[in-house]
Amino acid sequence: MAALRQLWSTIADRHGLGVAVFIGGAVLFWVLVLIVLPQLAMFDVSLRHNLPRPEIGGPADVYTLKNYSYFLFGNGTLNTLDIGVLVKTLIAAVIVTLLDIVICYPIAFILAHSATGVAARMMVIGLIVPFWINDILRAFAFRILFGATGVINGIGQALGLWSSPIDFIRADVALYAGLAYTYTLLMVFSIYNAVETLDRNQIEAARDMGASWWRVHWRVVLPVAKPGIASGATMVFMLTAGALAAPQILGGPSNLWFTQIIYQWFNDAGDWQRGSAYATILLVICLAFVFLMMRVFKVSIGAIGR
Amino acid sequence: MTRGSGGGLFAFSYALLFFLFLFGPLIIMVITAFNSSAFPRVVPWECFTTDWFGVLVRNERLMTGLWTSLAIGLAVVAIAVPFGLAGALALADIGPRLRAGLYAVLITPILIPGVVLGISTIVFWSFVGRGVGASYDTVFYNGFFLTLLGQVAFIASYAMLVLNARLQRFDPTLTEAALDLGATPGQAFRRILLPFMKPALGSAAFITFLASFENYNTTVFTILSGNTFTTALASKVRLGTDPSLSALAVIIIAVTLIGAMVSEAHTRRQELLRSGKAGQSRLYANPLSRLLTHPGAVLVLLLGVTGFITWSASRVDANLCRAAILQEKQQVQERLMQEQRNRIQQQAPAQAPAQAPSNNPSPFGGAFNPNSLAPPAQPAPPTAPPPSNNPSPFGGAFNPNSLAPKQ
Amino acid sequence: MNTRDVVLEHVSIRFGNYRAVENAHLSIKGGEFFSFLGPSGCGKTTLLRCISGFVQPSEGRVLIGGKDMRNVGPNKRPTALIFQNLALFPLLSVAENIAFPLEVRGVGRKERRKRADELLEMIALPGTGDKKVHELSGGQRQRVAIARALAAEPDILLLDEPLSALDLKLRQHMRTELRAIQQRVGLTFIYITHDQGEALTMSDQVAVMNAGVVEQVGDPQTIYNRPKTPFVASFVGETNAIPGAVISQQGALVTLDTALGPLTGQSAGGRDYQAGERCTLFVRPEQLALADAAPATNAIAARRVNEEFEGSIRTLYLSANGLDLRLYRMNADTSGPVLAADGVASVWFRPEHATVLPADPSRSG
Repeated sequence: MAALRQLWSTIADRHGLGVAVFIGGAVLFWVLVLIVLPQLAMFDVSLRHNLPRPEIGGPADVYTLKNYSYFLFGNGTLNTLDIGVLVKTLIAAVIVTLLDIVICYPIAFILAHSATGVAARMMVIGLIVPFWINDILRAFAFRILFGATGVINGIGQALGLWSSPIDFIRADVALYAGLAYTYTLLMVFSIYNAVETLDRNQIEAARDMGASWWRVHWRVVLPVAKPGIASGATMVFMLTAGALAAPQILGGPSNLWFTQIIYQWFNDAGDWQRGSAYATILLVICLAFVFLMMRVFKVSIGAIGR
Repeated sequence: MTRGSGGGLFAFSYALLFFLFLFGPLIIMVITAFNSSAFPRVVPWECFTTDWFGVLVRNERLMTGLWTSLAIGLAVVAIAVPFGLAGALALADIGPRLRAGLYAVLITPILIPGVVLGISTIVFWSFVGRGVGASYDTVFYNGFFLTLLGQVAFIASYAMLVLNARLQRFDPTLTEAALDLGATPGQAFRRILLPFMKPALGSAAFITFLASFENYNTTVFTILSGNTFTTALASKVRLGTDPSLSALAVIIIAVTLIGAMVSEAHTRRQELLRSGKAGQSRLYANPLSRLLTHPGAVLVLLLGVTGFITWSASRVDANLCRAAILQEKQQVQERLMQEQRNRIQQQAPAQAPAQAPSNNPSPFGGAFNPNSLAPPAQPAPPTAPPPSNNPSPFGGAFNPNSLAPKQ
Repeated sequence: MNTRDVVLEHVSIRFGNYRAVENAHLSIKGGEFFSFLGPSGCGKTTLLRCISGFVQPSEGRVLIGGKDMRNVGPNKRPTALIFQNLALFPLLSVAENIAFPLEVRGVGRKERRKRADELLEMIALPGTGDKKVHELSGGQRQRVAIARALAAEPDILLLDEPLSALDLKLRQHMRTELRAIQQRVGLTFIYITHDQGEALTMSDQVAVMNAGVVEQVGDPQTIYNRPKTPFVASFVGETNAIPGAVISQQGALVTLDTALGPLTGQSAGGRDYQAGERCTLFVRPEQLALADAAPATNAIAARRVNEEFEGSIRTLYLSANGLDLRLYRMNADTSGPVLAADGVASVWFRPEHATVLPADPSRSG
């Protein structure tokens, strides 16, 4: 509390009372009204029965764990379907994240330490342009690419690699590729920001001492890149696990993403309570997973977004 | 990567592959926008056409969504950028011990899944709305209002990141100097800090607008029964696709590329002017090239080229080509039906494997069948085709009727 | 009371448990060039920020023109601070920078420009008003910062090591210029520096600070010739420190028993010593001289270790019974014996040129 008062007087002295009121009011409204209270409301609703509107607040409106137990046990035995979808979503998010790390690490390094002048600027523009295309359109492009009559199947068949069209969409190849594609920019810039701080002389010194190419990266570059990788991985993982558009467009007919189940409870079944419970589960599991990973790799949350 | 030329070669080829991965899908999509085929694809190439742009513009749901999206985007910029600035300023002045905590709080909205933010927003405001006894036509159940709040919750974090990066480069003694010279804190803020933040405020506004415009996960919940551009787009893609979406991508990519090039011209010019090397540069010695490298000239030039391409492309009449293709297809279909009829006549009750014309698995269809060049045996109109709203890439694509633009 | 007087009354400044300034108690007369001299981290900048209003004293008070400055913000004080990095506004032109104090007071655009041009004339930079700050050289920026501060029409100008970023030649030139400006405008200048040369050449009064404590206040000659504490003696100028114990005292002259034999110096501030008290004798290198014949007092037998030629002076590095001594000779001075490498000579100094201070600094003064 004393620290907050200190903060207040620092800001008021430096920028004036008006600015201090603006900063205090805006941050408070943002954090409290836009973030914290809605999450609490969602949690509250997830603990209630799905009642018709007149009965809300009535005697039947009591707290229940029904929505959470439904996620675990369904209508009797273990709810393998929903739990399975959640696990599958998390695993897929991990795969996409790893894929992005592998794809983006070399590019971030090249951008930071090999490319110069015009080449580097063209690379930056080249990275940003695909990111400006709408999420939906990106997914759409992958549907064109991986469709049964798409370019990939066309080339594959023309080269005689396979004879009948492969259903990449059903196999989720299109989905994984599309998700990995969508978040490359985040990963590249996260790693780039970290790798860029590395002094070139360190790399040269290591090479001078006879370290192999792999050793230089493993011992010199990677430790510096670690916070960037962690930051990028956190964002890519959370965005992938929470993705909705790409799975809706690129997902196979039998494969569901966990967000799609939430969407169905909410919009198709009109059961806000169960939808809220599922959303809470997604939020808690994802945040827990990220914090666990940060603990394991000893990275602080301050590294994110840098 | 610096292992002599070997490392350079590796770096170069990797970068090449990477950008092929980045741009390949976009290029393919762009090509499909000009193919008259009803399903977006490159092969078989049918006719060059710009009709899909017309189809796009005539899509009313998309166009109303576009206006909604623009309005929401501007409103989000107006709120999220000041919020982000407030967050960045609070971070700059807070003590080192609390800073990590506040940073974590302000960055969390980016990490919260968009669907969760959307759900929590509508749940919370309907909660509030019920609390004050509001009816369904009030602001608490208004898609525009809810989308605004739901988006600001996390987009303000993006603005905060951009502004924070700039603010960290601000020299706080400048504010102190202003105060010392007699400025009130408010004057120092307006005259010294805000002008310093201006470029970052610009990019923050740009990024927040884009983030708002593109957002789907949160908006699809908060917009309720309404539509933004992106949600309308998504439902269109989910229900089945046509190349008008590719046409949309062409427009966005063109705008993006022009914007990127103009901004690049602007930065380079600024750098040259600031470094004082403008006088030495050959580019600036010549008045013509000096004029041509001005960002405004670059913009005009690019717009001119785009305009010319658009104009000349719109003069290409695809109807003739389309009619030829249609005729070809009708012939193929006719011939197949004729063959089938013949077969049925020859072996009356036999179980002839009826070859459905709409199920041809070859991507090249029957259009390339050499026989189709033969004059039709019977120029009668084809029989009614199966419904053309089949979302499968097969089927509808081979339906001659689907060639006509959907209107 | 002069509006340009500054008085510090028992000012202490603490940040948490850290004591930045301890009991600073001094007064600065209006129109004086007053320097705070001390090593980095001694609290001099904190004291300056306290006078300008960015830091509140934890104890004591700051009076400017006889008025208590408590709860008066930096923008309400009759002070103008020239920052170490100058803090010129990079986005404003030179003229806009200089006119900033007028702008915030609501002076009209034309009037502002006129005043800015006058000040540019004064600092000998006419016609640079429309340039950006980054187009100026270091010395020019320096002068613009001064002009901007003067535009605020302060009673007191505070300068926080403003010359530290300049190269040697420019620094020496700016010293003269600063002094000239100060005498022309007649303001109180409070100057912060760790460079004793700056402090001694420009100042009317110097306060030497160490670890948050003002150790001595006085005019440059007194500070140099009559240091009151061991810190002042060794920080201001070069000196030879010879530890010892008091044998006897006759008036102001104290004789010590040292490793180099009995040596006599002057007691700082006429302090009385008891026999056996631990003391240190400080003697400047330029006060040491080579003796042709054995001198009557303060003779030290020393061996030559090295000699450095620095242009106008030569430095002789000597060793006497394990103690290192330095001796300056003017280059033109060819008197006295010539000392070969490892040669031994007799070195001496006048008792009134040496200062005896107690070894325990807490008992000084």
